[in-house]
Amino acid sequence: MKTLSLRNLGKTYFDPYAGAHVTAVHDVSLDVQQGEFVSVVGPSGCGKTTILNMIAGFIPHSKGEILLDGTPVNGPGPERGVVFQSFALFPWKTVLDNVGFGPKMRGVPKAERDRIARDYLALAGLSHAANRYPNELSGGMQQRVGVVRALANEPAVLLMDEPFAAVDAQTRMTLQEELTRIWQDRKPTVLFITHDVGEAVFLANRVVVLSKGRILDEVAVDLPRPRVWDQLVDDDEFKRLSAQVLQMVRAA
Amino acid sequence: MNLLLQMWGGYARMTRRWPALAAVIPFIPVVALWTIVAEAGLFPRAFFPGPADVVRSFVTLTYKGILPDYLQDSLIRLFVGASVGMALGVPLGILIGTSRWAHRICWPVLLFFQAIGDIAWLPILLIWFGFGLTTMTFVIVYTVLFPVVLNTVLGVESVPRDLGRAALCLGASRARVLWEVTLPGALPNIITGLRNGLGYGWRALIAVEMIVGTSGIGFMMFDARRAGSTVEIVLGMIILGLLWYVVDAWILAPLERATGERWGLVTS
Repeated sequence: MKTLSLRNLGKTYFDPYAGAHVTAVHDVSLDVQQGEFVSVVGPSGCGKTTILNMIAGFIPHSKGEILLDGTPVNGPGPERGVVFQSFALFPWKTVLDNVGFGPKMRGVPKAERDRIARDYLALAGLSHAANRYPNELSGGMQQRVGVVRALANEPAVLLMDEPFAAVDAQTRMTLQEELTRIWQDRKPTVLFITHDVGEAVFLANRVVVLSKGRILDEVAVDLPRPRVWDQLVDDDEFKRLSAQVLQMVRAA
Repeated sequence: MNLLLQMWGGYARMTRRWPALAAVIPFIPVVALWTIVAEAGLFPRAFFPGPADVVRSFVTLTYKGILPDYLQDSLIRLFVGASVGMALGVPLGILIGTSRWAHRICWPVLLFFQAIGDIAWLPILLIWFGFGLTTMTFVIVYTVLFPVVLNTVLGVESVPRDLGRAALCLGASRARVLWEVTLPGALPNIITGLRNGLGYGWRALIAVEMIVGTSGIGFMMFDARRAGSTVEIVLGMIILGLLWYVVDAWILAPLERATGERWGLVTS
């Protein structure tokens, strides 16, 4: 069982301009079970990206523990895949080579990693774009590549940092629907950071509300899958959950 | 007015069909003006040769084998100097670009030595190494080094931070990140640095050949001064311009465009 555990996680850093220590994250404890989809939602400045960066190992944490399957994590590693808001595709590599990058780092031979990459590209409906370069793709397509690039490495947990914030509203809805479909298909463990309440509820099994570096509360989401926007916009349970989470976020 | 537009249209169509023409046509008025001034006899012929004299001199010197030999000497010196300059400059630039400490320590020193122009080193180099290849190579390497280092640093620093992070969380080691992300990300800037460096290096080489050389285009021009042969001097000047045009417009500029534009680095 691969579970991600945060134990009293905290981040304090020295702000040289303010001349003082600033605490961005206080005492956050959270367990994410294998195959679970957890959304973390909160206003900007609540520390959600800081938490993700600590889990990914991009920045050190100052307090507490980050455990993956009971083992503390240190620095970035392939068992924690990240999908970036900025997409972060390698512009000099084709889509195929971007998706095959993780396997390449594991030493998988060229033919085998191309097969893996094509398999995942098919999952995102991107087979036709395999030999194109990222800058030839639309934003929505680039982020589809970003998602399957992280998945192709089969991480124990997938960390997503506001991945759909940089695409237009229509594309965003499509990407959200595709993500729920892919999640049902492959059942990855996902920690999804967002400031969009509707997005958080739509995607997750569980929504965690964050405020000023602390977990305020959490809400279980039991909506049936597959989830489609056309059905959910008028769904009473979806509306009730969204209103409940929105109220917490606004009160935060 | 209409006629001008038509001429412009004709020019645009013609240069699109034969792009090489676009490089040649702008020189027609220059050569024409030169011919007129030379033929008008404003200056004595010995001081101000015309195009025909220069072409004649070109044919003679090529026939004797002097010009090809000198040209080869100059180009080999430039090539050796540029290679060494790149071999030193790219790693140094990557070190300074990736390490904050290396940046703090090296940057002021780098700017200090950049300010001491290549030619300013000549007096002491002549004492150390004498009139020879070492002195010339030193000056070329010195000239090429700074643009390459400075542009490499710029390139490394312009690689988005998320790209390195993405590689790390896909399982790349720090060394792999350097090879797979930092180097290709900085490549367009490295080529810009090489392009600038070669431009400066080419000019520095000619200057050094005039003072130090026993062969080369610069030497040919300075030697011609002793014989009072303005034709050879002008010929040397034209060769310098032509050669650089060919190297820059046909090799370096396309290379720079190919890396930068295809990857669309600006948007990512």
